[in-house]
Amino acid sequence: MTEKWTSRLILGLTLIFLIGPFLIIIIAGLSAGQSLAFPPDGISLKWYLKVFEIESFRDSFILSMALAIFGTLIALALGVPAAYALNRYEIPYAETIKTIVAAPIIVPGIIVGLALLRYLVLPIGLTVTLALFFAHTALVLPYAVRVVSSSMTNLRSDMEEAAVLLGCTRLSAFFKVVLPNIKGGVLAAFILGFVTSFNQVPVSLFLSGPGVRTLPIDMLAYMEITYDPSVAALSALLAFLSVGIVFLAEKFLGFSRYV
Amino acid sequence: MFQNRKEGFALALPAALFIGILFLLPVGILLSEAFQLDGGWSLQGYIDFISKPLNQTVFLRTLKLGFLVAAVSAVIGYASAFCIVNLDPKSRGRIFGMVVLPLMISPVARTYAWIVILGRTGIVNDAIIGLGLSDTPIRILFTETAVFLGLLQLFLPLMIISLVSSMENLPRDAISAARVLGANWLQVFTKIILPLTKEGLVMGGTLVFTGSLTAYITPAILGGAKVLMLETLLYQKVSVSNDYVSASIIATILIAMCFGTNLLLKRIATARE
Repeated sequence: MTEKWTSRLILGLTLIFLIGPFLIIIIAGLSAGQSLAFPPDGISLKWYLKVFEIESFRDSFILSMALAIFGTLIALALGVPAAYALNRYEIPYAETIKTIVAAPIIVPGIIVGLALLRYLVLPIGLTVTLALFFAHTALVLPYAVRVVSSSMTNLRSDMEEAAVLLGCTRLSAFFKVVLPNIKGGVLAAFILGFVTSFNQVPVSLFLSGPGVRTLPIDMLAYMEITYDPSVAALSALLAFLSVGIVFLAEKFLGFSRYV
Repeated sequence: MFQNRKEGFALALPAALFIGILFLLPVGILLSEAFQLDGGWSLQGYIDFISKPLNQTVFLRTLKLGFLVAAVSAVIGYASAFCIVNLDPKSRGRIFGMVVLPLMISPVARTYAWIVILGRTGIVNDAIIGLGLSDTPIRILFTETAVFLGLLQLFLPLMIISLVSSMENLPRDAISAARVLGANWLQVFTKIILPLTKEGLVMGGTLVFTGSLTAYITPAILGGAKVLMLETLLYQKVSVSNDYVSASIIATILIAMCFGTNLLLKRIATARE
């Protein structure tokens, strides 16, 4: 009996440590006062509403959304064929290709941002937006390859071979047989990539210019000048957004099977 | 397996080229810059860098915080993971979901909460003054303690996830048998649990340690200029003093530490008893 209560105590404390801060942020954003405090000075929704009126937040939200959606789509367009090739073909230099594709996970993001700024943006004149787009795509690509690969290993290859024997081309066999079977994995990879890109900070630190800033970078900059509860409110809204996406994905897809 | 090697290679090539050209090449040039001085190859930049006391402090602090966060999250991680795997399947899924949840939320939001908790007028200081432990607020924000807490909260879920998945196949009977035969929990841990979950510990440890070394937001928000770590020092070198040589030296050190940890811990995990 004591063991059961010890277990509850340990889990309770761990969860308070992990989740408690969010509850505090959500409540601090509900303040009616002018500065960030807990417990808040009165309750109102004004900071949650003010977030939508701050123009720079609106612009950077759109940029972050666009980067996360298109970056992940391109990463899938590159990653699905690569995952397919690594699973189904015996290709030369397979290990080298795997190492290259996994590299963005290990290399610290801040270094990537600095390198792209110094050697692509400054000398060649590549726009910051395009550099951000490349960096976010590269960052998501390893996850795309990994998640799609793992959903492909469970799929037996004789079905495709049968389709080819029955007259399909390799390409149409892929679209008719393989893709319908791995679409859950592809969707899971998209969601994981989207969340990774949207929340990414270090890569984007050096890749910001006039009018071009991702949302998390914009929040960091805003925090430095003001101490009002709007960042708390925005943080809470973003937390609801990502938790909502993941919750729906889990419910309809069994997201955690793939990740 | 299809035999057409060229076709397979052509399918995998675009992804590898994309990362090779737009990612690895610029990073490679940046790293090589740290070894170049006055047009020739030299290690002088490193010697100058390491000889500065501030840089030494920052380097050692980064290592220390990385170790501490990894060690403490291993202790909490083992306790929580063991409790999680012993739950009934339904509450197990629910609790596990709550552990994973923070990973989906922006690190900016996760770190910002600590300002409300640790600030001058924050919850902790309110409690300290309310309890009469001190008359004036104590400074917790912008100390190593604040950075430590922020990093621990950020990375603990990764440790718990790694340990839970490695505990999945832990033989329950062996543990209860050992208990019945008189082993205490410490013996059960060192003789049964630890050897069987070594891989999970190594994987979680790598993620937490390298994550802490390369975190930017936590030291930036909770440490500021008072508690610099390698990442915030790098940012400062570039944005404040335009010192690109130091920046690429720090970059090389960070990458070397990350790859080194990965290799070393993988060795340990696969080493035979």
